[in-house]
Amino acid sequence: MAASVRSVVLRGLDVVPVDVEVDIGPGTRKFFLIGLAAGSVREARERVTAAIRSCGLPFPLHVITCNLAPAEVRKDGAGLDLAIAVAICLAEARRPAAPGCAFFGEISLDGAIRHTNGVLVATRGLAGLGVDRVFVPAADAAEAALVPGIEVVPCRHLGEVADHLLEGLPLPAITPQPPAYEEPVAVDDLAEVHGQDTARRALEVAAAGGHHLLMSGPPGSGKTMLARCLPGILPPLTREEAIDLAQVGSVLGELEPGRPLSAQRPFRSPHHTISTAGLVGGGSSLARPGEVSRAHHGVLFLDELAEFDPGSLQALRQPLEEGRVRITRSGGSVSYPARFMLVGATNPCPCGWEGDPVKACRCTPAAVYAYQRALSGPLLDRIDLQVRVSRAPLEALSEEPTGESSAAVRARVSAARSRQLERQGHLNANLTRAELRRLTGIRPDARRALERWSSAKGLTARGFQRAWRVARTVADLQASDEIVEEHVFEALGYRVADAAAA
Amino acid sequence: MPRPPDPDNLNVRGRWPPPPGPRVAVVGSRRPSPYGEAVAERLATDLAAAGAIVVSGLALGVDAAAHEGALAAGGCTIAVLGTGVDIVYPRTNAELAARILENGGALVSQFADGTPPQRANFPRRNWTIAALSDVVVVVEAAEGSGALITAEAALALDRDVMAVPGSVFSPLSVGCHQLLRDGAGLVQNGRDVLAVLGAQQEVLDDPLRPPPSLGLESPKTGRDALLGHLSDTLPIEPGTLARKLGIPLPEIMSRLTALEMAGAVRPRGAGFVRLTAVGISRTGSG
Repeated sequence: MAASVRSVVLRGLDVVPVDVEVDIGPGTRKFFLIGLAAGSVREARERVTAAIRSCGLPFPLHVITCNLAPAEVRKDGAGLDLAIAVAICLAEARRPAAPGCAFFGEISLDGAIRHTNGVLVATRGLAGLGVDRVFVPAADAAEAALVPGIEVVPCRHLGEVADHLLEGLPLPAITPQPPAYEEPVAVDDLAEVHGQDTARRALEVAAAGGHHLLMSGPPGSGKTMLARCLPGILPPLTREEAIDLAQVGSVLGELEPGRPLSAQRPFRSPHHTISTAGLVGGGSSLARPGEVSRAHHGVLFLDELAEFDPGSLQALRQPLEEGRVRITRSGGSVSYPARFMLVGATNPCPCGWEGDPVKACRCTPAAVYAYQRALSGPLLDRIDLQVRVSRAPLEALSEEPTGESSAAVRARVSAARSRQLERQGHLNANLTRAELRRLTGIRPDARRALERWSSAKGLTARGFQRAWRVARTVADLQASDEIVEEHVFEALGYRVADAAAA
Repeated sequence: MPRPPDPDNLNVRGRWPPPPGPRVAVVGSRRPSPYGEAVAERLATDLAAAGAIVVSGLALGVDAAAHEGALAAGGCTIAVLGTGVDIVYPRTNAELAARILENGGALVSQFADGTPPQRANFPRRNWTIAALSDVVVVVEAAEGSGALITAEAALALDRDVMAVPGSVFSPLSVGCHQLLRDGAGLVQNGRDVLAVLGAQQEVLDDPLRPPPSLGLESPKTGRDALLGHLSDTLPIEPGTLARKLGIPLPEIMSRLTALEMAGAVRPRGAGFVRLTAVGISRTGSG
């Protein structure tokens, strides 16, 4: 007698449908698991056997053949445990299938159904496949309930699932409730920052246009503090954005139990010793999301940018361009979303004191030039804004800071973002050359100023467009439809002077 | 203590030996403030106009400004290189080196042809600068600057050492002020140097002839009042200006960039310095 049960395996944030088929045939006790089961799926055999026995359910005494179809898809992860166990129970009870149902979850030896990574992604995929009811671990039911149009049945134990399917005992579905979605609390507020007027303004412009930002300044000048303020001046995540982000958290198993959805923009600050796989995603067989995807819709802060492995920084190019990463491994190719604001921080030179008004820099001009050049190239090309940060004088630190609060800045940022979305459907940082010409309304004198500057300073075509995009954001912050000369000049102010060019 | 090489054993490009006349080394920071750069250039012009030969190291900053100043007066200037005479380092000064040769000056080096720039060779080159000069003038030197090695060599070789004072706020003048405290001659203008050389000059406490204008007046920007609040030695941050003048920061940023485009200011660190007009033609790209 054969039974077939539906489940999925994860491919990044997509799913591949898997039919778990079990046949019980004549012969002495054997349990075959076939269908390209890798690592953790192969081990499902032992887990499922023990779990069924622990529940006191009848275990087939003949030859069990469990096939995971389609056979050519490599299957990984423990999410198939529940489907395999259910299929065996149904086959033993000579019940063909559970129509419209799907199962996803890992089982422990005593039959308890454990937290499993990726329940939100699996549920989303199953809903897309037309499944009506999904049985998931109770611990993860809250995230599954975020998916509309599918009934979510939280399961604690294999026994209650079997009782429900075989005996018709009730197993209530979760009633979807509007998920807790609170106004985020910014931990770091701009009101706490002393001075740093230029950097504050650069943060505001960066936040308003979604521009990447590089801060350069001596040690202890507060670059990290400034970067930490950035999520607080961005508008809170929309529900769609929060669900996008929750999917990444779901795959990683990093969602807070019971509170899967947060309006808080992520802030990720990996250390410079991070591996390329840790940064952009990767792993041995199937790639896991990296820091760039954890920072999706938020901020990726790279302190000591010059100390990062050049290969890792190179790997940032794809996510910076496309807003997602595609990683190919032996187990297949997966893609994760990675649309983040990059904030880099660096010393201006090897000793850190170049340009400081008090402490003299000990580096030769050639060393300063080489240090700044090491950052250049493709990565720096994508950073629209650059700003120098200086140390606040010690006496200023004991005074009460006088700057605006993050909330005040966020109001302006939100207004400027709305203007952009209304005009072009995306933020200014992603304006293409054609859109710049067509949409940005630059006044002729402003354009001439930009051209004069480019020829005087030898700007590349990319640099020219960067300044143009930033000028557009400056204009949006002033609710101006046109880019006038002042906007261009302010935009040109946010780049680090090349110390060696003098 | 490195011994300077025999002047007859130097590798030379250009006219050698140089024409008769007192030789003045003008040396200092490779990253001077606009003030230091302007002083080096103006001093070299005045010295060259009075018939002195300006010796320097063809480095960025004060050295280049000194060579330029001498050339501006049509003078002969000697560049003492830390590389072989067939290599100009840094390469950005290649065009300057060519003009030095055209104007009857010389590039000299104690190192064999083809010697690349090496860290250890530059202090030895500084000794040669001192050896070839009658007096060494240090324009801007931070603590530990290479120009102080030249001054030390000058003392060891029994040459006169003089220094240009600067702002007491500026780290770039600390080395000069140390020299002055230790007895170096005070340089306010070219005559101070010529007097030490024994040229028949009366020493007057005149200020160095100021450059024609402080800050360029561009027809576009007019003379922005911000210039009056900027210094040519100390970088002032845009935020400081905004607070002091009660003007919103975006407007300050915008006006500063307009001034930078007009060649009147340039960024330094997190702030801006005012350019002194004399250096503008070369430093506009800074």
